[in-house]
Amino acid sequence: MAGSQLKRLKASLKEQGIIGPQKSKKQKRQNAEEQKARPDKRLQRGEALAGIREQFNPFQFKTNARGPKFEVTTNKPTNDRAAMAIKGRPGLAKAVGEERRRQTLLVEMQRRNKIGGLIDRRFGENDANLSLEDKMIERYTREQQRAHKKSSMFDLDDDEPIGGLTHMGRPLFDDDEDEAPVKDDFDGEDLPSGDESDSSRAERRILKRQRLEEAVAEQEEEDGQPERKRTKKEIYEEIIAKSKLHKYERQAAKDEDNELRAELDQAMPELQQLLFQRHKPPSKDEKGTETSMVIAGKDKAAVNKEYDIRVKQLAEDKRAQPAERTKTEEEKAEEESNRLKELEEKRLKRMRGEMDEEDEEEDEQEEDKNKRGRKAADGEPYDTFQADEADDFGLGKGVSYRPTATELGFDDEDDFLIDDDLVASGSELELESDDMEGEESDEEDGSDSGSDDDEFVKGILSETITKDPVFQTDGNPKGDDENGIPYTFPCPQSHNEMLKAFEGIEVTRTPVAVQRIRALYHPKLDSKNKERLAKFSQALVQHIAYLGDRFEPHWASTLESLSRHVHSLAKSFPIEVAKAYRTHIQEIEQDRPLALTVGDLVILTAVGTTFPTSDHFHQVVTPAMLAIARYLGQKIPQGFCDYATGTYLSILALQYQQFSKRYVPELINFCLNTLCSLAPGKPQQKLGFFPLHEPAPGTRIRGAGKTTIRQLNFSDCQQKGSLSREDEASLKVAIISTITAILKASAETWHKLSALYETFHPALLVLQHLASKPNPTHLPGPLTAKLTDAVAAISRLLQLARLSRRPLELHHHRPLAIRTYVPKFEDSFDPNKHYDPDRERAELAKLKAEHKRERKGALRELRKDAAFMQRENLRIKKERDTAYEKKYKRLVAEIQGEEGRAANEYAREKEARKKKSARAR
Amino acid sequence: MPAAVGESAVKTATKRKRQESGDMIKKRRRSDADDDKKDDNLKARIEKLETEVQESKKHYNNIATLVELAQKHHDDPKAALRACEALCRIFIRLLAAGNLVKRKDVSEKEAAVTSWLRDRLADYRGALLSMFSNKQLASSALMLAMALLKAEAQHLSDREEAVFPRHFFSDIVGCLLESPIEQLREQFSEHFVDEYHDIRFYTFEAIRTYLTEREDSVDEDTQNTVFDMLISMEDVPESSEDLTDFYIEPPRKKKHPLRSLSQHKKQAQQAWLALMHLGLRKEQRKKVLETMADSIAPWFTQPELLMDFLTDCYNSGGSISLLALSGVFYLIQQRNLDYPEFYTKLYSLLDADILHSKYRSRFFRLLDTFLGSSHLPAVLVASFIKRLARLALNAPPSAIVVIVPWFYNLFKRHPLTTFMMHRIPRTQEERDMLETEGLEDPFLPDERDPMETRAIDSCLWEIVQLQSHYHPNVATITKIISEQFTKQAYSMEDFLDHSYGSLIEAEMTKEVKKPPVVEYMIPKRIFTKAGPAPEENDSLLASLWDFGSP
Repeated sequence: MAGSQLKRLKASLKEQGIIGPQKSKKQKRQNAEEQKARPDKRLQRGEALAGIREQFNPFQFKTNARGPKFEVTTNKPTNDRAAMAIKGRPGLAKAVGEERRRQTLLVEMQRRNKIGGLIDRRFGENDANLSLEDKMIERYTREQQRAHKKSSMFDLDDDEPIGGLTHMGRPLFDDDEDEAPVKDDFDGEDLPSGDESDSSRAERRILKRQRLEEAVAEQEEEDGQPERKRTKKEIYEEIIAKSKLHKYERQAAKDEDNELRAELDQAMPELQQLLFQRHKPPSKDEKGTETSMVIAGKDKAAVNKEYDIRVKQLAEDKRAQPAERTKTEEEKAEEESNRLKELEEKRLKRMRGEMDEEDEEEDEQEEDKNKRGRKAADGEPYDTFQADEADDFGLGKGVSYRPTATELGFDDEDDFLIDDDLVASGSELELESDDMEGEESDEEDGSDSGSDDDEFVKGILSETITKDPVFQTDGNPKGDDENGIPYTFPCPQSHNEMLKAFEGIEVTRTPVAVQRIRALYHPKLDSKNKERLAKFSQALVQHIAYLGDRFEPHWASTLESLSRHVHSLAKSFPIEVAKAYRTHIQEIEQDRPLALTVGDLVILTAVGTTFPTSDHFHQVVTPAMLAIARYLGQKIPQGFCDYATGTYLSILALQYQQFSKRYVPELINFCLNTLCSLAPGKPQQKLGFFPLHEPAPGTRIRGAGKTTIRQLNFSDCQQKGSLSREDEASLKVAIISTITAILKASAETWHKLSALYETFHPALLVLQHLASKPNPTHLPGPLTAKLTDAVAAISRLLQLARLSRRPLELHHHRPLAIRTYVPKFEDSFDPNKHYDPDRERAELAKLKAEHKRERKGALRELRKDAAFMQRENLRIKKERDTAYEKKYKRLVAEIQGEEGRAANEYAREKEARKKKSARAR
Repeated sequence: MPAAVGESAVKTATKRKRQESGDMIKKRRRSDADDDKKDDNLKARIEKLETEVQESKKHYNNIATLVELAQKHHDDPKAALRACEALCRIFIRLLAAGNLVKRKDVSEKEAAVTSWLRDRLADYRGALLSMFSNKQLASSALMLAMALLKAEAQHLSDREEAVFPRHFFSDIVGCLLESPIEQLREQFSEHFVDEYHDIRFYTFEAIRTYLTEREDSVDEDTQNTVFDMLISMEDVPESSEDLTDFYIEPPRKKKHPLRSLSQHKKQAQQAWLALMHLGLRKEQRKKVLETMADSIAPWFTQPELLMDFLTDCYNSGGSISLLALSGVFYLIQQRNLDYPEFYTKLYSLLDADILHSKYRSRFFRLLDTFLGSSHLPAVLVASFIKRLARLALNAPPSAIVVIVPWFYNLFKRHPLTTFMMHRIPRTQEERDMLETEGLEDPFLPDERDPMETRAIDSCLWEIVQLQSHYHPNVATITKIISEQFTKQAYSMEDFLDHSYGSLIEAEMTKEVKKPPVVEYMIPKRIFTKAGPAPEENDSLLASLWDFGSP
């Protein structure tokens, strides 16, 4: 829009309708009426005027002079208007500041050096916006409110009586208690001598009495006036009384209910009789009702008691429940196979060393504790975030997973296993057990048929057994069966007791005795039996070792069944049996780590069958395996018994690892060493990296060409005097043949190991050495054949291993991220903000910035104040000056006026005189 | 004052003697009562002789009588002992009085008396020394001899300062070494050598002269005793200021050899060298090598002199090599010894027995130092790794536990060797070859030079195999090789000192709290052979072992 400022102003005013073409009188009147009807029209007009005023003042707003300084991309839409947005209103701000100063500073300035004065605090006195009427209304309401609010309890202005003085929650001067004389403190006899004299006290008393009498009189007067307005206190009292009444009524109702209920209770037997007529024999009920009826009249307590008992019985009464469907054979079989599968899975898990979560947690806690202690001791200098790794496999800090037998759901099911072939044929117990097992074993048989347990009869002891005289331990005459085995035993609690108990029983018959003891002291028969059997199982472990030490060839099956008994006991008492085995192993390690007896061998064998040897860690198996390995690794055989023991342990070690296929270096060492020692000729060159011990003289096999191959037995493990030539030769041959078999079996067991070639190449060399030229002359033909057979088998395996060998690729890990610490990105970064990780420093910086800002602001304000004061002073001075000037001028004018008049008079006089003189002349 | 000390020594010796001979006295008492009388007579007589000598010079001939008595200690040990004690007192008094000092200004007669007395003194010394081989008297004789030594040092010579009678002392040491009584030497080392620095100093000297004088005639027993004696002198003083304990009044000169540490060391070194010149037996060598770094090498002012000995030992192989390693290392490190083909030799030490040796942890500490440098060629380090991995296949768990973390540290230090754990065939031909022919381990186990073994082209299948070791902790430790290498290094000390015993002990100390898992299936047969049923198979045990028939 072109044109001058003035033109534009006019145009905009016209646009807003503030000015317009001249209107006729009629129109004006119409407009005025409209305005009256719509009072906001005037406001609108004011707004429009303000808008126009703003629009025409170029200094009203502060804006960016030429849009944004830098090109930035933001979420907000940008245009030139936004970029040119108003950043401040300097004019307005200035005006506000000026106004505020006028209100504060100016007042102060004016009041300076002045004392006293009146301040008008009346509401709205200085408010120009309020009309007089509004002001008055507001003032009135305020007054009312002030009066209404009770400022103090003891306000003298307040004439309404309030609660009154109280003592210990009771009013001191209660209207109701006026009859009772109110005791003054000083009246009390316990205060004979007050502060005041007796006379003054007497006076007081008299005064008091007078006052009271007056009060009573007053009250009587008041009672006469019925229409008196009730006080608040009275109202409240009334309310309280009403609520008390209600409460009492409710209580009464409840009592009534209770009475009614009691009545019903008394009548209950009758009702019951009606309700349960079918169930109970009428005679009994009759009796019951009779008694209860009789009692009802007399003894309420007894009746109540009876009632309670009945209620309980009713609550506990079992309702008929649908029985579980009888399962079909297939379902049972499936269930059983599922169970086995689950157990197998668990075993595999343990083998891999995986643990259950809860166990892990517990172990971790334990380990953490250890670690902390250890770390403190070690003072490890390494990085903290994985410093504990070395401790993780800290030797002797192995981790384990040990679910309880109950977890596996064994304790009930297999609680009492009576193996039918454990029962000697012809013994009477067989009949008994058949009797008692007959019913249950039938159904168990089916489920077991698929598993390996089929020969076991799971005889769950039924309640009938308790009635069987045989199982009544107390006061039962001792009877023996035809084998001389008594039917009853005291439960042996230690090995000595066991030896005493089994005295006179043939060793081969001990399983029968054990079985009888287990039946006699079955945990179901007595609560103490559990403890007894636990100790018995420990003694049994010792007994196995004891029998092992005195081994005779025909005891094998006895030992076998005893170990199986221990195994089945271990299911109920895993901790006790484990402890027994562990103490035995510990004994071995402390007393004879390198001189194992046959008993030790039997125990180690039993460990291997009782506990899962495939577990990554097992409290019993791991020490047992270590004990075996220690013998194999450290024993330098002195005689043939040592070789035989070592051979047995090698077999055992291999059997331990049959399932998990873990590598046992000591086994290879021992086998190769033994073969080298027994070989007829010393090998010419080094055959491998296994440590070789020089054999004792006479160990090498010589001229045994005609010996037949036999198997080793326990008697070979026992230290004996000198052997005859033939025996020695046959023993040597037996050892060589067994070890060859072990090597072959171990190669098959470990054929999947990655370094099979390196492991068994020395074995191959040793076997070849035995089978090669000068040696076979000293060995029997079948043995040589066996050797060559083993050589062929092993070399075939080695060939396979070589073919299947690939370079190692162990580290296909995801690349590790570099750990980042300081450069942390903010989601909404603000460059004005300080992201200082040091909290205190950041706060200090913030405070400093604020201080600076405040300081600047204060300075600016002070400067403005000073300017304002200057301005004001100037203004005042100017005012004063102008006033003076005015006065001066007025005076001058006055004087001038007066003097003018005089001058005029003079002039007139002069004129007159002139005229006069002229006239006169 | 010294005289008083000497007398007290005599008294203690007497006391001891009395205790020792107490049994004998009792026996004799039972046999004949006259003996007591005789004893009293003897005592009175010797006392009389002694007091007479004290009273006047006229009775000096009594000394000769007493010496004679002392010399006949085989016949009458008690009398000899009494005589010796008396003589000791007499001579100490005479020495203190200056009667044995040769002076020029005295008359001829007096000089004759002095020289006669000196001769008697020599006789007495001889008598004392000969008592060293007498079981009953040796200990007292030693105490008397040492007391006399002290008196002689103070008063025998004319000078004001004490002069150490080296000759007498070397005689004492010589007789000590030849004496068959072990306790005597112990007593000597305990009461004198360990207590007094000057005695130790002169003992070294005496031993050296003793050995050099009879170079060829030293028999094995004497050599052993010398060896034991030298080995027992352990605590090497730190500085010259520490040399404060002297048996005999120390020389006043500051520069005296007794006051300088280097002189002490020199004496010790010469004594050791003299012994080593005689040649050591295998056990002695082992003992020397074991204590080399702690107690022998510090005595040497020039440890270079040990070079030949150590290199000889190192080259001899076996456990001696292992033990010599620390000594050789000491020389290489401290004395700049140049040992050609050190690593080849070191590599050759890694034989089948090393992981079973009782010096295993000692060796590994050193090996860790030797291969600690990051500037070694990766080929060499790879050879060591591969060789040890091979050995680990036949190693006890306690050794595997050591070497695997050590491997880890080496892998971290020499990243080139990590190809032994992770090697991806790159070319198609390579892959085809693997498919058809498998892989032969390129490692040459019999190569002696660690730079030529081609171990760096091989892989650590052995360690992977040990990941399925029967011991759970060993298996876990070996798994660190196939996990990510996030840890900086393992501290070897945590893994070094384990054995079967400690491993089992660690298992056993853990209390059984949770019930252990029990095999859910009770096996049908353990010892007995399987029945005729076709599905039953013999367990390995039953098939290989004859348990007899029921």
